[in-house]
Amino acid sequence: MQINSPQLTSGWGNNFHSLSSRAAASTVEQIQELVSTSKSVRGLLPIGLHRSYGDSALNSGGTLIDLAAFNGISIDMQSRTAVVGAGVTVAALERAALEKSLFPPVVPGTGFVTMGGAIAADIHGKSHHRTGSFSQCVRRITLMLASGGIVNLTPNDPEFWATVGGLGLTGVVIEIEIELHALQSNSVDVIEHRVKNLSEMIELLNRSDNDYEHTVAWIDLSGDYRGRGVVSLGNYGSTPVKAKESESTGPSLPSLAGKNFITPLTVSAFNEIWYRKPLKDGAVALTKYMHPLDGISHWNRIYGDTGFLQYQFVIDIGKEEIFDRLFRGLRDLKAASFLGVLKKFGNASQAPLSFPRSGWTLTLDYSMAVPGLEQFLRGFDEELVAAGGRVYLIKDSRVSPELIPLMYPQINQWRDIRRTMDPTGLWQSDQARRLHLC
Amino acid sequence: MLNGFKNPGRIALIGAKSEIGLAIVSQLPEDKSREVILVGRSGEYALDVTDRAARERVVEAIFDKGDLDLAIIAVGVLGNNPEKSDTENLVDAMGVNYLGTVHLLALIAERMKIQAHGTILIISSFAQVRPRDDNFAYGSTKAGLDFYARGLAAKLHGSGVKIKILRPGFVKSKMTAGMAIAPFSITTEECAQYGVRAISSKKVVTWAPSILKYVAMVIATMPPAIFRKISQR
Repeated sequence: MQINSPQLTSGWGNNFHSLSSRAAASTVEQIQELVSTSKSVRGLLPIGLHRSYGDSALNSGGTLIDLAAFNGISIDMQSRTAVVGAGVTVAALERAALEKSLFPPVVPGTGFVTMGGAIAADIHGKSHHRTGSFSQCVRRITLMLASGGIVNLTPNDPEFWATVGGLGLTGVVIEIEIELHALQSNSVDVIEHRVKNLSEMIELLNRSDNDYEHTVAWIDLSGDYRGRGVVSLGNYGSTPVKAKESESTGPSLPSLAGKNFITPLTVSAFNEIWYRKPLKDGAVALTKYMHPLDGISHWNRIYGDTGFLQYQFVIDIGKEEIFDRLFRGLRDLKAASFLGVLKKFGNASQAPLSFPRSGWTLTLDYSMAVPGLEQFLRGFDEELVAAGGRVYLIKDSRVSPELIPLMYPQINQWRDIRRTMDPTGLWQSDQARRLHLC
Repeated sequence: MLNGFKNPGRIALIGAKSEIGLAIVSQLPEDKSREVILVGRSGEYALDVTDRAARERVVEAIFDKGDLDLAIIAVGVLGNNPEKSDTENLVDAMGVNYLGTVHLLALIAERMKIQAHGTILIISSFAQVRPRDDNFAYGSTKAGLDFYARGLAAKLHGSGVKIKILRPGFVKSKMTAGMAIAPFSITTEECAQYGVRAISSKKVVTWAPSILKYVAMVIATMPPAIFRKISQR
């Protein structure tokens, strides 16, 4: 089993540069070999495609286990389930399922997330208000423990729920069994509405959740920060459409000499165009609708060498006044976000570290170079916690560790289960160290 | 661990009473949740810098409790105690400025190599540029430290660990109280600004103030007769 010499690795936000070894495992025995021969005090961490924004999938001084070779997909038409390897991407599963007129009920905004990553983050999508998070359609997780032993976990096991949202810190996901949704066609019937401000947006989302399987709003957080935007509503359609089926997506953003192109001016200009664009009304290819940004690979390069962060939080229904305070603060900071996203979540899963739970979730992207951003977000986090909210750990790169038990009050329960699964602390990540998770 | 803004979550200041060290710590971007370990003569991490076993024990204790993102080694003595002979003063300065500091630097670097990240800032001096009658003993200890630190910085290239050297000129502080103020002198606060810059600098060496880089070039290449004249001023 070859372990490559240490190299610098970053998350999608390109804001951490962590030095670690990497081993590409292609069999279960190879992972067992890594587990039994690991002598480093820095431990191991299973990884996917490094689409987590911060340091969730980094392990400085340790070894990353690349599971891309675990790419098997087998679909059972009878039970409408798929058994998939940890390295299978959402996009690959979608392609295989679409051939059989099936589709994963929960897919995130990008298709470049692996099954292992989807479990580790308990990802969500535009359907959360109906389907809940990813774990709600998972029937079984086959997991390798720190002992090298392999267990099959079902939703009846506490270890299943510790692994869901467990950031890769409970073991190596080898394979999962997932339920699929039966389709009439490969399309979504989409209707978009322009809204003038946040209260209109909230009102429309509240009204639409009962009638639509997929709901999401794009929010303009630049200019006057009133929260104008476009609300997108969709249901699985019955009219087939032509869709690009190839693995390769559209153009790749070249490396822009490390320069940051996201400034209040470019953001305002872009957001203005987006707001004015013709509204969709009709059938759109499912994959295109689900993953709008996958058309351009390496779009994260637009933020340059300093990188960027994605700030995503959830707040209870009825606490919407916190948005006004946030928008005012961001306006004073002249921090403009390219593509903010607002979504109403449905019920939480029972995983102690799972992020989604009933309420509003807002997602914003910011260059790390925005002056005063760090202090501002730190202050806002405190208001967020006081209002009962929390941030999404798979996207985090800066939250204060002492807020974690307040944001995730079940963390001690998670720690207890985790300890029984990994008594020696084999699974480690930079984020776990930074936030004192384990 | 550093956060995404590259700000440290856990730091150690070795030399808890060092004015420059404390000023550097206070000038880092504010973060309530940052753990600052003060290593001084007393407290949880009490250290006598001249005690070899104590140095090893304290460095172990720091790293056993978690990753360290930044170590500032700010211990040093001028070796100008009038009650001691020149030779006694030399041994004192060597013990703290060279032996103690270099050993701490090596111990911390070793632990940081395992975690594959971290920055160590050491405080060198303009005095190591060229021996001057009144401070060459002190200068020699700083020259030794500076030399070792440059070598270690190069050796650790690619390891994730960074060694940064701050070379201040005359800093108006308790340490230099009563001494004649030299040209290009700066306050402790100003010196700390250069220290903060040194931590995130891509270069190994940072002069405080920056102009000293050029002054040092002139001083180092000056004919001995002229140097003798200006240093006796």
